Amino acid sequence: MRAQRSELENHIIDEYRAGYIGRREFMRRGAVVGMSLPLVGFLASACGTEEKGGSSADGEESNKAAVKKGGVFKTGIQIPGSDLDPLKVNNQGSLGVLAQSAEFLIFSDRDLKPVPRLAESWEPNDDGSQWTFKIRQGVKYHDGTPMTSEDVAATFNLHADPDNGSNALSAFTGVLSKGGAQATDETTVVFELDAPNGNFPFNTSSDNYNLVILPKGFDPTTWPKNFQGTGPWRLDKYSPNQGVTFTPNPDYWDKTRSVLPERHEMTFYEKEAAGILGIQGGEVDVLSQFSAINGKPLLTDPNISVIELRAAQHRQLHMRTDKEPFTDKRVRQAVALLLNRDNIVKGLLEEKSDYGNDSPFAPVYRTTDKTVAQRKQDVEKAKALLAEAGKENFSVELRTWENFEMPQYAALVQNDLKAAGIDVKLNITDAGSYYGDAVFGKSPWLDSTFGITEYGHRGVPNVYLGAPLKSDGTWNSSHFKNKAYDALNTEYVAALDLQTQRTAAKKIQEMLLDEVPIIFSYFYFYLSALKPTIAGVNVSAMGHVDVTQGGVKA
Amino acid sequence: MIFLAAQVLPGDVARRILGPFADQASVDALSKELGTDRSLIAQYWGWISSFVTGDLGQSPAQSRPVSDIVVDAIVASGKLALLAFIIVVPLAIAGGVVAAMNEGSLRDRLISVGGLSATAIPEFVWAVLFILVFSLGLGLFPTTAQFPEGAGIFTQIKYLLLPALCLVCVLFGYIARMARAGTIEALEADYTRTAVLKGLAQRTVIRRHVLRNSLLPTIAVVATQAGYLIGGLVIIELIFNYQGIGLALARAATQKDIPVLQSGILIIGVVYLVATLIADILYSVLNPRVRLEAAE
Repeated sequence: MRAQRSELENHIIDEYRAGYIGRREFMRRGAVVGMSLPLVGFLASACGTEEKGGSSADGEESNKAAVKKGGVFKTGIQIPGSDLDPLKVNNQGSLGVLAQSAEFLIFSDRDLKPVPRLAESWEPNDDGSQWTFKIRQGVKYHDGTPMTSEDVAATFNLHADPDNGSNALSAFTGVLSKGGAQATDETTVVFELDAPNGNFPFNTSSDNYNLVILPKGFDPTTWPKNFQGTGPWRLDKYSPNQGVTFTPNPDYWDKTRSVLPERHEMTFYEKEAAGILGIQGGEVDVLSQFSAINGKPLLTDPNISVIELRAAQHRQLHMRTDKEPFTDKRVRQAVALLLNRDNIVKGLLEEKSDYGNDSPFAPVYRTTDKTVAQRKQDVEKAKALLAEAGKENFSVELRTWENFEMPQYAALVQNDLKAAGIDVKLNITDAGSYYGDAVFGKSPWLDSTFGITEYGHRGVPNVYLGAPLKSDGTWNSSHFKNKAYDALNTEYVAALDLQTQRTAAKKIQEMLLDEVPIIFSYFYFYLSALKPTIAGVNVSAMGHVDVTQGGVKA
Repeated sequence: MIFLAAQVLPGDVARRILGPFADQASVDALSKELGTDRSLIAQYWGWISSFVTGDLGQSPAQSRPVSDIVVDAIVASGKLALLAFIIVVPLAIAGGVVAAMNEGSLRDRLISVGGLSATAIPEFVWAVLFILVFSLGLGLFPTTAQFPEGAGIFTQIKYLLLPALCLVCVLFGYIARMARAGTIEALEADYTRTAVLKGLAQRTVIRRHVLRNSLLPTIAVVATQAGYLIGGLVIIELIFNYQGIGLALARAATQKDIPVLQSGILIIGVVYLVATLIADILYSVLNPRVRLEAAE
């Protein structure tokens, strides 16, 4: 069997056998490089051992119960931020709706594993600069039109074209250019990348909000009328700003996910508090997401089950490396040492969070090197560093915006920095004022000396390692310009196997821990709430909520 | 004015639609598609020339006709405001009259002090309290005001009752106080004394002479609340997840959706003017002196 596998696949099998990676990671990496799930499962059983890990949740066991077929399933979800045009969607609410009726090539699941959907398999060339995807056959759009490899290529080229105003363009910058996707035959799409990329399957996956497969010649004006995709749910009625109702798609290709409920009603909530009251009042069966800070009543409510997923979503506390008082890295290190991360994780986030270690490598990522020492509060060392740098008792403005726990986080930072005589003045505004035009020179986000910005979950850290940290990064709010880092980033992105990725990851982690352009103090969990009488709900930290197998417990 | 004021808000509508992390090339392409890359004068001219023909234009943020957005929202707000009015106006006037007729008594103090205390408590506090007690505690009402589509009138009332009661709490003290003051003044007036001395029954004196005069300042107060009840209920709409015009305008301001913002504010202005006009007409109906002065 090994003889039939590619060099890369054999390398992953060797890593697993040698114990470098566990069974879960073997399954995940195998899927990333395109090995079929049955094959990976067989190999895992044949030459591996079981391991624990991944997501944890007190409502998880309850959610596994068998359910009754039929009934109306009600989901509460954040209000979509735009008109649901797949090119424009940019928030969890929009994604949550979009993914009911349309599908991605790959689904990035809760364990950060790429699960085949409209792609059956995929594999890279030797250096990861070209990826070949086999497209599933026999899949139809809701109007009966077959989904083709040409549709897939057209979808990717549509998003990669700067003239089309796609929100996904930023994710493709330096990865895929217009025309880079080609349907070479009826079942195959080949992606010619701008540079080698070992995690490219995640770019095509549900990690990338907008990348649902659309018919060639897609017309965005028709989308709100029919939500024409290949997914398990068909649009019944869409009421902008209020909600959307779906009925099962009887022709859905994946019989293992044939829809159980007879209807799916999604209610949009403008404010999180209204959604929390909605699930407590029994008006919805599932609340797609809530935060630990606003949803404390749900965490202790005996009538609510909570699903929690470890995730990579976080807040970046940036310090302008080109502006006083943060030009000296000892000052940045001191600020990082002053933070009491226990207070943040245990107090602010009710322990629904992992600790951050000042790099985007969240503990949930398999590539994260856990041997890098965790930074902890050390006020005396911080004071010494500030004295060495000659930057004691300075004053600085901290900018952020009203979003979940961010104002409280800013207040904790302000309080912690007082211990070293640093006077932090808070400037907390609305999102529009904070982001401004979102370009350098016209945005407090990108121009402020000290600021807090939110980042959502991704299945791999590539996005966080690129735009916010690369010298030419368009989201580089710390103005961190370091050629050695850029080279390490290229090395990490191009790596195809886990060991090479981990080696590069360790170097990046150590460099960022030393340079500290950005403080990553926590990676908070993705929390969903459901009625204890409900089971079969599948959520992902990206904001997907799959209720095809959901219903009232049998 | 609204158009110019909206320009002060940072960012543009394409950036708001695509979000801060979108590539600038995408933002530029979308601005071009929406026409928001044109000069301010060209954009304003485009809007005003359509507006005068009755076309409110298209919402760039929601890709829907502005008229659909504004009409849906104003109807929703109108329903909530109407229910609140139907409850609070007779209740507050009755309360004011009872308090005035029992001036200085325990009943008067209960109504006056209780009403003012209720007014002093912000509407969102009432909202949370009512939800905790009547929705989560007793399970009598839904936590949301957004009734299902096609719901009958009684179902709609059931969904709207809690937010309407919040408004009743906020407005009761104010209106009752006006009604009380007007009634006391009317009770002390010569014409009331004459009516009593004529031997008219107390009920007739109140109905024919006192109420007619005491309601004059109350009507003015009620009319001035129309604008607030139609367009100023953002917090209530947020808590009860109700898609009224206040929320629609708040969203439009956040998204820099200027056509929705302009049309919504104009329509609220019209509602306010109509409410004031109705108040003036009622005023003249109740007060013959106004009619006579106009006739002269």
